[in-house]
Amino acid sequence: MGANGSGKSTLGKIITGVAAPDQGQLLLDGKPISFSSPQAARKRGIVAVYQELSLIPDMTVADNIWLTHEPRRWQSILNGREMRRRTQDLLKLFEGTIGPMLQPDAIVATLAPDERQIVEILKALSFDPRIIILDEATASLDSQQVDRLFDLVAQWKTQGRIVIFTSHRMEETFRVADRVTVLRNGKTVGTAQLDQISQEELVAMMIENSVASQTLTHRSEHESSPVRLSAERIRTNILQGVDVQVHAGEILGIGGLQGQGQSDLLLTLFGAIAYKGAIQLEGKQQRFSHPSQAMSAGIAFVPGDRGAQGLLSIRSIFENLQLPSWAKYGLPLQMKNARQDASQVASRLNLVMGSLDAPVDSLSGGNAQKVVLGKWLLREPKVLLLDDPTKGVDVGAKGEFYRLLADLREAGTAIVLYSSDDEELLGLSDRILVLRDGKIQGELKGEQLTKSALVATSMGSEQESAS
Amino acid sequence: MIKSSTANTVPMQLRRILVKNSYLLALLLLIIAVLINYLLQPNFFLPGVLNGNLQTYLPLLLLAVGQAIIIVGGGIDLSIGSIVSLTNVIVVHALGNQSSPSQIALAIVLGLLAGLLAGAFNGFCVAYLRFQPIITTFATSFVFLGLAEWVMPSPGGTVPADLANLYTSNPLGISFMIWVIAIVLILWGILRSTRFGPYLYAVGGRPMSAYQTGVPVSFVRLSSYALGGLMAGMAGLALALTTGSGDPLIGSPMTLDSITAVVLGGTRLSGGQGGILGSILGVLILGVIRSIISFANVPTWWQTLVNGIIVILALAGPGLVSLIRRQRA
Repeated sequence: MGANGSGKSTLGKIITGVAAPDQGQLLLDGKPISFSSPQAARKRGIVAVYQELSLIPDMTVADNIWLTHEPRRWQSILNGREMRRRTQDLLKLFEGTIGPMLQPDAIVATLAPDERQIVEILKALSFDPRIIILDEATASLDSQQVDRLFDLVAQWKTQGRIVIFTSHRMEETFRVADRVTVLRNGKTVGTAQLDQISQEELVAMMIENSVASQTLTHRSEHESSPVRLSAERIRTNILQGVDVQVHAGEILGIGGLQGQGQSDLLLTLFGAIAYKGAIQLEGKQQRFSHPSQAMSAGIAFVPGDRGAQGLLSIRSIFENLQLPSWAKYGLPLQMKNARQDASQVASRLNLVMGSLDAPVDSLSGGNAQKVVLGKWLLREPKVLLLDDPTKGVDVGAKGEFYRLLADLREAGTAIVLYSSDDEELLGLSDRILVLRDGKIQGELKGEQLTKSALVATSMGSEQESAS
Repeated sequence: MIKSSTANTVPMQLRRILVKNSYLLALLLLIIAVLINYLLQPNFFLPGVLNGNLQTYLPLLLLAVGQAIIIVGGGIDLSIGSIVSLTNVIVVHALGNQSSPSQIALAIVLGLLAGLLAGAFNGFCVAYLRFQPIITTFATSFVFLGLAEWVMPSPGGTVPADLANLYTSNPLGISFMIWVIAIVLILWGILRSTRFGPYLYAVGGRPMSAYQTGVPVSFVRLSSYALGGLMAGMAGLALALTTGSGDPLIGSPMTLDSITAVVLGGTRLSGGQGGILGSILGVLILGVIRSIISFANVPTWWQTLVNGIIVILALAGPGLVSLIRRQRA
């Protein structure tokens, strides 16, 4: 177990040969080994079930499960009947918890997410592994299916298989595991027998015993200011009915473990994905079906993946800054004004750059991210959405980035921030909504803005207001 | 407990049927086209006419099979028509004026080998050097065309009568064309029942997942292009037999036809789905449309226009579907 970014997934990737360690060694049966690829690890009996599916959508369940180790006749001719029979046997393991459509000949793309996850588990099992890594494998399963999986895990244990289980559902870990190892910031904190440890003690192991440093002073004046943006009963593929309200001059943090719907929420507010529910901006009903509509209503979005979503990397800093704002400059474009505005913003951002005409990819990560933010400053947004904005940004640039956010908040911008860095989230936000399984698990404000409360709420633990 | 599976909804059922039998729509289209053609040309079903039609379709049919293998594997080959030209002139050039059996065999082997190597070169660029398939094969199409013009600058040469007669022969009372189609389908069936079958569809469907599962993605890609090139070589050979001479420009217009046929056959341009049978039906549909156009006194440029529109519609299809879904949501 471990909090966000503690290194659970990386450890799993090293064990299964997906990633190589910089240092240290892997021992299997007491002998040092190193895997060059997932296949090498699989040959030694180590497989992983990941949440991000490894299935081919347009192939059948049987073809997917047996891909690369198909039953064959005479070395080369595939034995379809045998393949279907063995698939049928595997599916029997989950009999009673799956729908009638999950058949060996069903096309994977037509299955529901839980059924696909089960196929993924069976695919791993079909390799007859000695070590199975279940990395958040229960996320899309319902409770019956989880029960069945845990029965199977118990069987696997008696068969001598080793199961490595990571889950963000704490009660599951307690149900299925014998022993827990806690990671924190990429280090092992400790190992304990689960029948000798309580949930509270486990949470305490996961977080550092320090107070989260406050990057910005938390404010509460915003509570008296008007609601800038509100969203009600938002539903998407991931979100299951989320209500959000942001006030003018507030930084609202969106917290929780990774992939609980945070990005979906921000993209919904930006009109970039289809949703059900109602969105109001300054009291007026809005329905965004394209980012351009959200933009003209005064909403700005800073993506986390700046390379792919935020910047035109080979174009100049000037062009990048002005990209969303060209409409202001008439026809033909008044380049002089545009350049003036851009250089003003550049100095406000404190950009370290050769010139405005230098390509954006000549900038450091931090400065490039400032450009992404800067291009929205020119539009003076009413609402600013930030999706993990400081990923891969150095500490100095982060500081400047935070000051910019403070200025914006002062100017009355409503800011919604998601960050995978809990420290940052706690340090910046006036209020935090914790998402879990696409729902709001809890709201933290004032005294509750502590690391332990955030981690405990993220994990769905009972002690939500612990401090 | 009955689980609410998305598999029960109508669009999902439709998808299931279409994924498994992607050629069904093509079969329907073919029947409609044949009926229209029959109304315009009542002697359409006479064995002689039917066989004559099949003979003109055969080169494109072989080519479309090659293109289908490449597209199913997630690629596309815009140079496939130039490979036809190249092999066509190589075969005719190698035949020279002699018609000794060994000379004929040598010419055939050389032609097919040239096709295979040209395809393998495309595959190497795409699979191992990670070049973009469209740009790469667009560029190599000019390389192969240039080579073809170097081998034979202007149309000419002759094909020995013995060899050309093979094309119109009827071994065991069944048309040579039917034999070729049957052999192609059988070979495809064999290929499909080895590991290469699922590997090809996996690589075309989702290369990252395939890689993660241990499929030799690059090798499968390369093989798909090499097989496509080999089929283009057979198309070039078939053209040499029908026309009785070599022409360095004969293949280029066939590239778009081959892609159109594959698309008409229900194969998705993004890969991982579809197959050979549909593509063969696609070629027949194109052939019948061409015949309709000539009998209905429609100018022939309609054919090119229709081809282009079919490909555009196929590209637009998935986008339109998601656009409609978005509007509804």
